[in-house]
Amino acid sequence: MAQGDYMDEHKKKYGRRFDHDERERKKKARDVHKHSKMAQKSIGIKGKMIAKKNYSEKALMKRTLKMHEESLSRRKADENVDEGALPAYLIDREKTSRAKVLSNTIKQKRKEKAGKWEVPLPKVRPVAEEEMFRVIRSGKRKTKQWKRMVTKATFVGPGFTRKPPKYERFIRPSGLRFTKAHVTHPELKCTFCLEIIGIKKNPNGPMYTSLGVMTRGTIIEVNVSELGLVTPSGKVVWGKYAQVTNNPELDGCINAVLLV
Amino acid sequence: MVQYNFKKITVVPNGKQFIDIILSRTQRQTPTVVHKGYKINRLRQFYMRKVKYTQTNFHEKLSTIIEEFPRLEQIHPFYGDLLHVLYNKDHYKLALGQVNTARNLISKIAKDYVKLLKYGDSLYRCKCLKVAALGRMCTVVKRITPSLAYLEQIRQHMARLPSIDPNTRTVLICGYPNVGKSSFMNKVTRADVDVQPYAFTTKSLFVGHTDYEYLRYQVIDTPGILDRPFEDRNIIEMCSITALAHLRAAVLFFLDISGSCGYTIAQQAALFHSIKSLFMNKPLVIVCNKTDLMPMENISEEDRKLVEEMKAEAMKTAMGASEEQVLLTMSTLTEEGVMSVKNAACSRLLDQRVEAKMKSKKINDHLNKFHVAMPKPRDNIERLPCIPQAILDARAKEATEMEKRKTEKDLEEENGGAGVYSASLRKHYILKHDEWKDDIMPEILDGHNVADFIDPDILLRLEELEREEELRLAEVAEDEIETDGEELSVEQKNQLAAIRKKKACLIREHRLKKTVAQNRSTVPRKFDKDKKYTTKRMGRELSALGLDPSSAVDRARSKSRGRKRDRSEDRGNDAMDVDDEEQANKKQRVRSKSRSMSISRSMSRPPAHEVVPGDGFKDSTQKKAALKIGNTSHKKRDKNARKGEADRTIPTLRPKHLFSGKRGKGKTDRR
Repeated sequence: MAQGDYMDEHKKKYGRRFDHDERERKKKARDVHKHSKMAQKSIGIKGKMIAKKNYSEKALMKRTLKMHEESLSRRKADENVDEGALPAYLIDREKTSRAKVLSNTIKQKRKEKAGKWEVPLPKVRPVAEEEMFRVIRSGKRKTKQWKRMVTKATFVGPGFTRKPPKYERFIRPSGLRFTKAHVTHPELKCTFCLEIIGIKKNPNGPMYTSLGVMTRGTIIEVNVSELGLVTPSGKVVWGKYAQVTNNPELDGCINAVLLV
Repeated sequence: MVQYNFKKITVVPNGKQFIDIILSRTQRQTPTVVHKGYKINRLRQFYMRKVKYTQTNFHEKLSTIIEEFPRLEQIHPFYGDLLHVLYNKDHYKLALGQVNTARNLISKIAKDYVKLLKYGDSLYRCKCLKVAALGRMCTVVKRITPSLAYLEQIRQHMARLPSIDPNTRTVLICGYPNVGKSSFMNKVTRADVDVQPYAFTTKSLFVGHTDYEYLRYQVIDTPGILDRPFEDRNIIEMCSITALAHLRAAVLFFLDISGSCGYTIAQQAALFHSIKSLFMNKPLVIVCNKTDLMPMENISEEDRKLVEEMKAEAMKTAMGASEEQVLLTMSTLTEEGVMSVKNAACSRLLDQRVEAKMKSKKINDHLNKFHVAMPKPRDNIERLPCIPQAILDARAKEATEMEKRKTEKDLEEENGGAGVYSASLRKHYILKHDEWKDDIMPEILDGHNVADFIDPDILLRLEELEREEELRLAEVAEDEIETDGEELSVEQKNQLAAIRKKKACLIREHRLKKTVAQNRSTVPRKFDKDKKYTTKRMGRELSALGLDPSSAVDRARSKSRGRKRDRSEDRGNDAMDVDDEEQANKKQRVRSKSRSMSISRSMSRPPAHEVVPGDGFKDSTQKKAALKIGNTSHKKRDKNARKGEADRTIPTLRPKHLFSGKRGKGKTDRR
């Protein structure tokens, strides 16, 4: 007991009051009612906070109860269905089978040629041109309307210099330029902040790809040298593709999934 | 002078609370209403404000944490080391460092998102960005939750540390465990240190204060130290070592010469020699405790030698102190020698401090400010103060009186204490004879209330009052006689009575009238239910008074509402009536059509539509032209509803119809 522990000292010297335990018990029992009253009375942000906390507690309680119930009750085990089993109406169908199993690398190459990947986000919402660009009025009287400003997140290469204003049709504002992306490795289940090397494809069109616009579903190339990935032949992989999974202009950051 | 008070550090909320505090503050203190239709600038500004406000709040809160926790390098090395021993410097610094990093990160996030918000082009996008910004800030704080919890624990512990002033006069008690350090502390100071018959009862530093020669000394009780290598020492022992190392204090090294603490004198001597270096330049007193169990003379020869050795060691740093002040014996149980130990330690400390001060450079600044004069004695005659005999006597007398005077409290003590003794209230009565004090005073005596006769001259007063009353009565009677008057005859008396009666009657009636009819001369019928106020009655009454009633009656008649139709041409001869009639006729004449069409009776008066020249006009045409010009001149004014030339009022400055709605292709004043 240190010198400043007044409460300890007092307890040691004089003990507790005779009905201490009783009071504690009652206070604890009453606490529930007090809390409920508070929850019913409070409004606004405080009320929301209490409601959310209560809800999460309740959900947790239900989950644990259910878990206990599951462990107690007996039920019939499901019979394991064999891999490749066919339903009765399909049994007589003929199946085609490839004579030769293609090697993995050839498969990869073919895919690359076709320019198609199996991606986590196969379909994206099309983005209209009005949404993508904002018209900039120019000229002394602000009557000319041939300039456009990109309103989405963009990537521009490190050596980029703007064209003279007379020839610059598309402006990519520096505030919306991004150089890094949070890339998740789907198998490792962890995320890294990696540098962007370039834009491979924007699903909304080749113009956006060339402009470097990053919207949801865009395939980007990221620098994975930090990850230390190695090809089967032993070379260190440094560029890999990843697909953007969020709306960068809304979240202020780029989240992507590595394509493996 | 830096105060080492760690009680004032503000509470560090845990991660969740922290976030709740900040977010609810943002919610409360920034505007909450926003609509899609607002200008984009306003929308951006609305959300930017939220992001910035949250960031400043985070910054403020985290800054207070960083600033209020002491920097270990900047505080006194004693406290620096103590905190290091108790909380581990690395851990402490790491926690504060994390808080600092979080602060910077949050600032950076806010900066980034404010930049992005500048490109926000819709309410939805701005809102999404704001949510993302606040979310990321909260995540940063959530990550430092363990550090915050650690800091909070340290804060609570630090607030409970004893407030030791490292620079004041200090006496430090050290020694093996269970040698009686805390018992001595309890004897010397009012600090209530726990004393138990086992080792390591005291686990931390304890502070008490004691007085010696009108100066306050801080006494520090330390936990026991074991004789083992420095690295093996635990936190409790390290507290003592820290105190020994950094405080410039008088050190009391306690020796248990009886050996009842479980350690022999040889072991204790070994400890003494191993921590000898910590006693450098400090007044050291070796205290042999527990002499009640084993007197100093009875210890064995070897032990004595060890003690002598220690004494010799202590004498090296004694700086001219006598041997009696270096090795002392005492017993905290019998309180033998306790005071001498304290006095020895305090006086040696004081000597050392004074010496150190005298050596310092600063002392010259103060020394030249004072000079104590010590006059040389002239001769060997002793000159005592001279006090007159009378004053001496008076003093002696006063003293005896003071002694003699007994208070009620003394009496109570003598006569059996509180509850037994009851004080007499009559003791101080002032009476003619002292023996009357205890007499019982009856309430009723001979059928009289005694209290009534407390005033001795009450009868005299009563007589006086009665006499005065008589006099007054007589005066009143005289007055009445005067007014009645004997000189009036019987007839006159009757008349007087009649007049007075009439007067009273009139006043009553007047008042009635005043309240009822609001002093109107004519009485409305509804108040004259029994038809009392008639002209006939008025005439009768007036004639009874000897006046001619005719004109009064006439006047009353004329005032009353007229009959519905006049029956006769001539109604009365009053001048006013005539005037009225003429006016009515004139009106009639002007209005009647036939009259206007006919030729005027009097040539002097033209018909209504004809213009008669006059007022300086030559003829009627000229006047007509003038009139026309006059009319056209104010025609425009009349159209604009102006009162005159000076009327420049604008009835509605901003007519609603001209300021509402959109302005199309048309003109400014058309919507």
